[in-house]
Amino acid sequence: MSTKLKRWPVLAASVCALAIPLITQDGYVIQLLNIAILNTIVVLGLNFVTGWTGQINFGQAAFYGLGAYTTAIAAKSGLPWITTPFLSAIVVIVASLALGLPTMRLRTYYLAMTTIGFGEIIRLIIVHWEPVTGGTSGLRTIPGISIFGIGPEGQAQHYYLLVATLALAILVAARIRRSALGRAMIATRDSEIAAEQSGVDTTRTKLIAFMVGAVYAGLAGCLYASSIRFISPDSFSGTQAILLMTMLIVGGMGSIAGCVFGAVALTILPEALRFLGQWYLVLYGLGVIAVIVLAPGGLASLASQFPLRRAGVH
Amino acid sequence: MTRRFGGLVALDGIDLDVPAGIVQAIIGPNGSGKTTLLNALSGASHADAGSIRIAGHEIFRLKPHRIARLGLARTFQNIRIFENLSVLENVKVAAACNNPTSILDILISNARHRHNEADIDVVAQEALESVGLARRADDRATELPYAQRRLLEIARALASKPKVLLLDEPAAGMNMTESMTLLDTIAKLKSQGITILLVEHNVRLVMGISDRVTVIDFGKKIAEGTPSDIQRNPLVIEAYLGRRHRHA
Repeated sequence: MSTKLKRWPVLAASVCALAIPLITQDGYVIQLLNIAILNTIVVLGLNFVTGWTGQINFGQAAFYGLGAYTTAIAAKSGLPWITTPFLSAIVVIVASLALGLPTMRLRTYYLAMTTIGFGEIIRLIIVHWEPVTGGTSGLRTIPGISIFGIGPEGQAQHYYLLVATLALAILVAARIRRSALGRAMIATRDSEIAAEQSGVDTTRTKLIAFMVGAVYAGLAGCLYASSIRFISPDSFSGTQAILLMTMLIVGGMGSIAGCVFGAVALTILPEALRFLGQWYLVLYGLGVIAVIVLAPGGLASLASQFPLRRAGVH
Repeated sequence: MTRRFGGLVALDGIDLDVPAGIVQAIIGPNGSGKTTLLNALSGASHADAGSIRIAGHEIFRLKPHRIARLGLARTFQNIRIFENLSVLENVKVAAACNNPTSILDILISNARHRHNEADIDVVAQEALESVGLARRADDRATELPYAQRRLLEIARALASKPKVLLLDEPAAGMNMTESMTLLDTIAKLKSQGITILLVEHNVRLVMGISDRVTVIDFGKKIAEGTPSDIQRNPLVIEAYLGRRHRHA
């Protein structure tokens, strides 16, 4: 669970990220990376709840969807784009409180079941409230990002905007991790009793983690709707919720870098393996199992293995 | 300071009145209700009826974090450190209990947030120093050996600036030297004016350090007095000391 963002890897990763549109102009590649970035933001949000606070949450995809649909419906009804991030945030905060307040006392399986139920309720509303949500065929031609008439044109510009948003999301997560709130989250995960007896209000801490996580998902949903400009219920289903959890586990629970590795790897891999036809699922599944078995701490633990070993010697 | 209890099955009408600033030991055979008493005091599991007061504040049935903030800290018989935090961060968790920060303070990193974090850092470092763990501040908590994990728990408890400190078998699993260091630490805490409630199996350790000893058996108080009174009390010898002394 890395506390500090190490300077060199972060710098190297940033330079690579910024150089990508110079190397390839392939719209398909950039679009894929855009989705990878949005998934990373959602997984960073999930990391607050599951990675740090230790609460299983299968409702993250639903918050993602709530943010996306709020933005799509608002923008299509003619509201200026600038209002949509705020509207999305408000909707997911209200939803996370509605779900979190009664359930944050539940533990493990019970909370997992409740969040699965929540995700399913949101999905059913989206599918059946056709006049507003477009039902299973989704919503098309969603107005794009535009702040007082200025907005990104083309996929490369969207890419840069999303990279900047991701950087902000990472900075906020790192700042929370280094604060009393971040320590309280991890303390809650490691021992709820000891955390309480150290003066941590664990119920409140869980609720805040849940809310912050939902806001990450909601804002990613807002950007998804207005940069991909087409949404359908499939993107926010229970399968997606499990995929998000897999990204977190494969990347490394509780590690910010792990969230990035996991989300980017598991977004790109299925596309990269497409040439294998149906065999890709086999390879994909084996890869995920291999990471979980060989590196239970996720991809991030592989990356940090050497410095940790050295630190252990002293 | 008064604490009162009544009517719990595991704790049968136990009444404890601990004057501020003393080391009060609670001893008793296995299953006599020592840890149950501690859990009830700290709010980890509530007693069915009764009353607990710290310096006049009623804390009975409050949530544990509220009790902690009112000045009661504890350690655990089966160690509960935060394994995914560093040694210093473990202590900082408790040090933050007197420095409330809202999430907005943290996000904009305003003066209050920075001041709080600086404050927490100082308090946590001091707590680590007072148990002799300052050197290990940046290590992962899981890198500490067993005895030092117990000390880390004490440092964490101290960081919340408690009036009352409950130590649940702090010497369990410690060797002679480590127990001696622990005794020094307890004496030092007492000299700082902290009231200490010590639940212990190791009778010798208790006798040397305590101002007063309460013996409980089957959830009832069977004797109370100075260590030397207790050692002479035939009831106690029968219930506990006689048996334990032979292999202690």
